[in-house]
Amino acid sequence: MMTSTATLASGTPKKAIDSLMLRYLVLIGLIVIASVGFSIANENFYSLTNIGILLRSIAVLFLLAMGMTFIMLTGGIDLSIGSNVAFSGAVGVLTLVTTGSAALGFATSILAGMLIGGINGFFIGRLKLSPFMVSLATYALARGLALVLYDANSINVDNAAFLWLGGVSWGNMPVVIPFVALVFIALSVLLYQTPFGRDVYAAGANANTAFVLGRRPERTLVWVYVLSGALAGLSAIITVGRVSSGQPWAGLYLEFDAITAVILGGTSLFGGRGKLLGTILGVLLYGIIINGLVLTGTNPYLQSLIKGLILLGVVLLDTLTQKGKAA
Amino acid sequence: MSNRIDMKGITKSFFATKALDNVDFSCHASEVHALVGLNGAGKSTLMKVLGGIYSSDEGTIEVDGAAVTIKTPVDADNAGISMIHQELSLINELTVAGNIFLGRELKRAGTPFLDKREMARRVKAELDRFGLMLDPNMPVRELNSGEKQIVEIIRALMSNSWLIVMDEPTSALSEEDKERLFGFIERMKQEGIAIIYISHHMPEIFGIAERVTVMRDGEIVLSERIAETSEPAVIRSMTGRELAHFEKPHKEIAGEPLLTVDALSKPGSFEDVSFEVRPGEIVVLTGLRGCGAPELAKSVFGLDGDYTGTVSYLGSPLVPGRGPAVAVREGMGLVTENRDKNGILPALSVRDNIALPFLEKALRGGVLSRGHIEAVVDKAIRDTSTKTSSPDQEIRFLSGGNKQKICFSRWLDDDLKLLILLEPTRGIDVHAKADIYRIIEDLAGRGVGVLLLSYEIDEVTMLADRVITMYQGKSIARYNYPEFDKDQMLADMAGARI
Repeated sequence: MMTSTATLASGTPKKAIDSLMLRYLVLIGLIVIASVGFSIANENFYSLTNIGILLRSIAVLFLLAMGMTFIMLTGGIDLSIGSNVAFSGAVGVLTLVTTGSAALGFATSILAGMLIGGINGFFIGRLKLSPFMVSLATYALARGLALVLYDANSINVDNAAFLWLGGVSWGNMPVVIPFVALVFIALSVLLYQTPFGRDVYAAGANANTAFVLGRRPERTLVWVYVLSGALAGLSAIITVGRVSSGQPWAGLYLEFDAITAVILGGTSLFGGRGKLLGTILGVLLYGIIINGLVLTGTNPYLQSLIKGLILLGVVLLDTLTQKGKAA
Repeated sequence: MSNRIDMKGITKSFFATKALDNVDFSCHASEVHALVGLNGAGKSTLMKVLGGIYSSDEGTIEVDGAAVTIKTPVDADNAGISMIHQELSLINELTVAGNIFLGRELKRAGTPFLDKREMARRVKAELDRFGLMLDPNMPVRELNSGEKQIVEIIRALMSNSWLIVMDEPTSALSEEDKERLFGFIERMKQEGIAIIYISHHMPEIFGIAERVTVMRDGEIVLSERIAETSEPAVIRSMTGRELAHFEKPHKEIAGEPLLTVDALSKPGSFEDVSFEVRPGEIVVLTGLRGCGAPELAKSVFGLDGDYTGTVSYLGSPLVPGRGPAVAVREGMGLVTENRDKNGILPALSVRDNIALPFLEKALRGGVLSRGHIEAVVDKAIRDTSTKTSSPDQEIRFLSGGNKQKICFSRWLDDDLKLLILLEPTRGIDVHAKADIYRIIEDLAGRGVGVLLLSYEIDEVTMLADRVITMYQGKSIARYNYPEFDKDQMLADMAGARI
C-alpha cells in the first residue's frame, strides 16, 4: 500500500508543473495564430504603429488584470475596478484643476482608488461578506460618485506632466509600456518573494488553515483589495493621459475584460492557483483578439457577443480542470 | 411484521485489512442490543453492511430466517431497517410533518395539492402512540437536537421500519433530552421495535439494553445478556492489542511549568479543569467524543475565548481568545483534528504548506530567502520521513499519513515551545502512526511541551507522561507514567464505576 502511494505521488508533480507550462505554451501559440490571422485579414495589423496602439490600448488592462490576479488568487473577485477608474480619475483631475499640481493629482487619484479598494477590503475581509456582492455595490457606488464629481460632463486636461504617462511615446513605444513592465516586476516580487504574497495564495487555498497557522487571512484580503484599488487609481491617470480628458464613463466594462484575461491566463476562479505571467499572456491574447476585431471592421455588437463567448469558454475550461483536481 | 434479524458469518476486507472477520450478530423485536468497541473495532463497518452502504465479502443476512439481499440503502429501507445518523438529515425549512412525509407526500384526492392537514394528523397520531409532545406543524429549524432526532426516528417508524440503528444517539443531547429519548426507546420496545444501540457510555447501556456485544479488531469478543455481565467485564473486553510498534524512550522532565491551566470552565464544554505542562512533557487528555477535551485544547491555543479561569503560559496569564497569530508568535503550535478543513492548503505545494507559519524568519533584506526556506523544508521532510517526490508537489496528492506528517513538520522550529495535537493519528495507517509517535517523542526530547488529545486508549498509554481522563467536560482522574491502568481509564471515560 505504501509503495502504491509513493508511485502515485512521484507521478503527479511533473504533471502539475507541465499543465501550467502547457497552458502558457498554448497561450503563446494562440497569440501567434491570432496575430498571423489578423495580419492576413488586415495588412495594418503588423505595422509598428498598430502594435504601439495595441499596447497602449491594453496598458490599463495589464495593470487592472494584475490586481485582479491577486484578488482571484484569494478566491475573490472585484467588479468595482472599471467604475473605480472613473472615480479616482475624477478625484485626480479635479485636484489637478483646482491646485494645478500634477503631483497632487497623481497622489489623490491613487488614494481615491485605494479608498474604494479599502471599502471592498473592509466588508470582504473584516465582515466576511461576499466579494461578488460587495464589489457589485461599490461598482455602482464609484460610478455614481464619478458622475456626481464630473457633474456628468468630461473635463479637458492640458497639464503636460499629468498627461505624460498615458499620452507620450518614444518613437512607436508608448512610455506606459516600460512602466507596466516595472509594475509587473514589482508585483512579481511582492507575490513571490514576500510573506504577503504567500499569504495571498494561502488565503485562497484554505483561509481556515491559514488562520490556524497564525497567519491573518482577513488582513491579507483587505490589502489585496486596496492594491487592486491603487492599480485602478494608476489606470485612471493613464486613461486620462491617453484621451487628454477626464471622462465620467471611463473604464466601462474593464472589470469584465480583466476577469476574462485573468482566467484565460490560467488563474483559477477557486483561488490558490495562478501566476502573473499567465495574466500577462492572457491580456495579450485577449487584447489582440479585440484589437483585431476592430481592425477587421467587425460589427461592434458582434464584438460583445464574442467577448461573452470567450468568458463562457474559459470559465468552463477552468471549472472542468479544477474539478479534476478536487479531492 | 418482521421480528428478527440475523447476520451470519459476515466478513469484509478493505485491501489487505480485514475489517470484519466472520461476525455473527442478531437482534429481535422488543430488544435493545448495545454494540460497543473502540474506534476501528468494526462497529460502523458492520452497521454499514446492514444498511447497504457496504456489501460484505462473505456471509448472509436473514430476516425471520429467510435470506435477504441488502446491496443498497434502498434494499435496507425495503427490509424495514433504518439508520439514525449523527449528522441529522432533516430539512430545516420544512415542518415536522413535511419532513416525515418528504418524498411520499399525501395529496388531496384527485388534485395535485398537498393534504397538509391529513399529514399532520397522522404524524400527531404516531407521536401520541409513543407519548411524545411535539407539534407536527412546527418548522424543524425551531427544534433542538434531541427533538430533531425524535423526528428522524418517527420518520423511520412511519415508513414501516421495524429495526432502528442508533449511532451514539446521546452525544449531542442535554440530560433532559436524553431522559426523553430513553423513554421513547422504552415505548418502542413495547411496540415491538428492535433497536441496535451503538454507544460507549456504560450507564446508558446498562440502563436500557437487553444484550451487549463487544467488538475488537473486526471480531466479536463478548456477547451477553446484560444481566449476565458487568461494566468491568465489558470494558476489559474492549481493550485491544497494541497496534503500532513503538517504545517510549526514557527522559527526565524538569523545570518550571510551560503551561498552567487553572480552573478552566466553559458552559456546555468543560468544567473546572486544571493541569500543567512542563517542558518535554507529554500530557494526554482522553475521553469519549463529546468529553470537552478538544474545546479545552482550542481555548488554550486562543481560538476560543469564551471561558472562565486562567491559562498561564511561560509564567504570565494569556488573554482569552487572542487568536492563533499571537499564539504562534509566542511559540505555540496546533495540529487540528480535521486535516481537510483546517490542516492543509490543498492547492499549494508541500513547501508552502510547511513554510507558512514561520515565513517572517526567512526574510533577508525584506524578501524571502529561497535558500533558507529550502533548507527548513528539506529538513522538515527528512525529520518526519514524509514521502513526497519533491517539495514542489501539491499537497493534495499525498496520502493521509504524509499529509498529517506535513501538519507536524511545519512546527519543527527551534522557537516552538508548546505543541497542541488533536487526534494526531486519526485516519492514518499503522506505519505512519509509528512515525508520528516518533516525531512527538523527538519534540518532547527537545524540550517542547506537548498537550495531546486522543480517543485511542492504546495510543494514550503509549505516548503519555501523564494522562487526564475526562467525562462530560470534567476531568475525572490523572495517571502518571508508568502507572497506567487501561481498564480504569476506560471506566473513567465511560462514566462507569469499578
